[in-house]
Amino acid sequence: MTGPRLATQSLSIGYLGRRVASDITLAVAPAEVVAIVGPSGSGKSTLLATIAGVVPALGGSVIIEGRDVTATAIHERGVGLVFQEPLLFPHLSVMDNVTYGLRRQRAPKDVAQARAIELLDWLGLEGYGPRNVEELSGGQAQRVALARALAPRPAVLLLDEPFSALDSDLRQRLAGDVARMLRHEGVSAIHVTHDLAEATDMSDRVIAFADFAHSADRLQGGSLR
Amino acid sequence: MPRWLNWAWLVPAAFLLTFLAYPLGVLGSHVVDPAGWTRLFASNTWHVVPLALAQALTSTVLAVIVGLPIANVVTRYRFRGRALAQAAVTVPFVLPTVVVALAFRSLLGPGVPQGFFLVVLAHAYVNLAVVVRIVGSNWAQHDPDYENTARTLGATRWAAFRTITLPMLRPAIASSASVVFVFSFTSLGIVLLLGDASTRTLESQILRQTSVLLDFPGAAATAVVQLVLVTAVLVAGMVASRRTARRRLRPIALRPLPASTAGRVAVIATAAFTFVVVAAPVAALVVTSFRAAGQWSLAWWTGVSSVDAGTSRIGSPLSALATSIGYALVCALVACVVGGLAAVAVLTHGRTRLISLLAIVPLGISSATLGLGTLLAFGRPPVDLRGSGLLVPIAHSLVAVPLVVAVVAPALLSADSRTMAVAATLGARPTRAFLTAYGAILRVVMLASAGLACAVSLGEFGAASFLARAGSPTVPVQIVRLLSRPGEQSYGIAAVLAVVLVALTLVLVLLVDRLGAGRPSSVTGAA
Repeated sequence: MTGPRLATQSLSIGYLGRRVASDITLAVAPAEVVAIVGPSGSGKSTLLATIAGVVPALGGSVIIEGRDVTATAIHERGVGLVFQEPLLFPHLSVMDNVTYGLRRQRAPKDVAQARAIELLDWLGLEGYGPRNVEELSGGQAQRVALARALAPRPAVLLLDEPFSALDSDLRQRLAGDVARMLRHEGVSAIHVTHDLAEATDMSDRVIAFADFAHSADRLQGGSLR
Repeated sequence: MPRWLNWAWLVPAAFLLTFLAYPLGVLGSHVVDPAGWTRLFASNTWHVVPLALAQALTSTVLAVIVGLPIANVVTRYRFRGRALAQAAVTVPFVLPTVVVALAFRSLLGPGVPQGFFLVVLAHAYVNLAVVVRIVGSNWAQHDPDYENTARTLGATRWAAFRTITLPMLRPAIASSASVVFVFSFTSLGIVLLLGDASTRTLESQILRQTSVLLDFPGAAATAVVQLVLVTAVLVAGMVASRRTARRRLRPIALRPLPASTAGRVAVIATAAFTFVVVAAPVAALVVTSFRAAGQWSLAWWTGVSSVDAGTSRIGSPLSALATSIGYALVCALVACVVGGLAAVAVLTHGRTRLISLLAIVPLGISSATLGLGTLLAFGRPPVDLRGSGLLVPIAHSLVAVPLVVAVVAPALLSADSRTMAVAATLGARPTRAFLTAYGAILRVVMLASAGLACAVSLGEFGAASFLARAGSPTVPVQIVRLLSRPGEQSYGIAAVLAVVLVALTLVLVLLVDRLGAGRPSSVTGAA
């Protein structure tokens, strides 16, 4: 594929009827990892939520693999999303969490399981499949969340400060693992963080959120708080 | 703490021992009578068990199916009228069951024959609030990012609900379902007024064994069977609700309406449906009270004071109302004193877990069991209190006391006890210091409790049907008696009484809600 894996054109984002930023134009090449840095509350998470379709765009468009998906339902966009917290499905085992997306695609059970084992092994979680997710440590849970997002081979992976809930030692180790994982999978990714060091370590390109997003004037919204 | 408060527990303990433990003991002594069990096995009580199980199960499934979408809409989305819709759902639950039964008869008319369908419908109506409250409070804290994650993994909206949301709500659903099941399984008023041979419950069987067959040992044996089954279901419900997986909760924050038109329509339609479902039976009841001989009329309303409806055994409707209000006031007094002191005991001894335990007691001991036990213990020589007019309010206060404790204890615990120390250092004697710290709260919550106890007493039917004397029935008992007689007049007068009961109950519940609104632990939430 020649064009960008993901592109946004003049995208306006916001939530609860409040515009947060506008005119966001961005392109992510195949297998490229782009980091977006900016202070918390600047709208980075809203941008990811808008690309994923969790929050509707207020204007402009989102294009994934050449297809305009601005009006497409979340589950048909082919986007993986990892939040700050792992949000593992508590009633499912590690294996069932990781194979969740493949089961939605009606992949054969053995194929799904093989893929899950491959990812779990890669992330240093050999033999964790049958475990209850409540037994996992914070770092392990976040690894499982990453494996779950990668399993259905999304066109783009969106990482929303996935390490910020972990302590710094663990954060560094996990960031390294994830960076290797993304290269191995050849997946395009946007990694949102407020940690510049983490951003430069993990990504091919670092963008400051303020550089390409025109933050809406908060005062115009009528609320100073 | 004033010293005398250390002995506060004596009053509730003595009350419960005398009026709960002793009657249950007497009931138990009848259970030992092998004749009761012989007759139980020979009788058709065993045919009632599967019927009641099927009825309660169907009622529960219906309440859950209707309750889930309502819980979703009224506890999670922000829209005009949401709070009102949430309050409306509670109305059927606080209405006396006898009133609900009559309202459903008025709504559906003679076109829908009495029986299984009508009973199940009425049970689902009453218990909607249980599902909406328990599941809704859980759902409101549910982090929508779980579904969003599932959606990004390729799950459709429905698949995400089915595979993620529903399993995560399962403990709350199980817990509410077990409560609905028990209410439907031990239902009496609705079954008597709307049911047929296929909808008998053990509760109605106990009443029949007592009042028609005069088979006290048999009735006692039936009560034990019911108690065992009910306890098993409640324990199963508690176990299921304990098995809550650790998950991220989010602070309760209402979300805006869905962006899609279809989503908006679904939310608004569900809210509208809620209002219609709740209001329709009550509206039909009011209309019935103003219809005589096929036209609008005040005949039934003007007749309430004079009508004895042809027989001397049924007093005037107004006298039943006076009896009920009198009983309600005595019940409120007793329940507030006993429950208030029990709450103070919880405060002084710090037994917070006792509250939750106490709140379940009236669930486990059905009103017929309570009525029968009280009747056996205090309704016959050597101790015959039936003439005193105290049996009904005492039985009612037994139902109300746990609710009073559930309202008062959390309020007392939420107050800052350091105020008492401050008052003491300023020279206040212990009792004065206690009142300085807790007096203001006590005044509010005791008033709320009194309102709650009155509402419970006014609507209670099960125990009263055992204990009320033939000459002075309570309003719910009077309604059932009126409906057991043919004629439009009986029906019209019953509707008038039911409307009055609805009005009184709603005024009381509104009062309780208003008083509770200022408190950190809302009264209605606890009740």
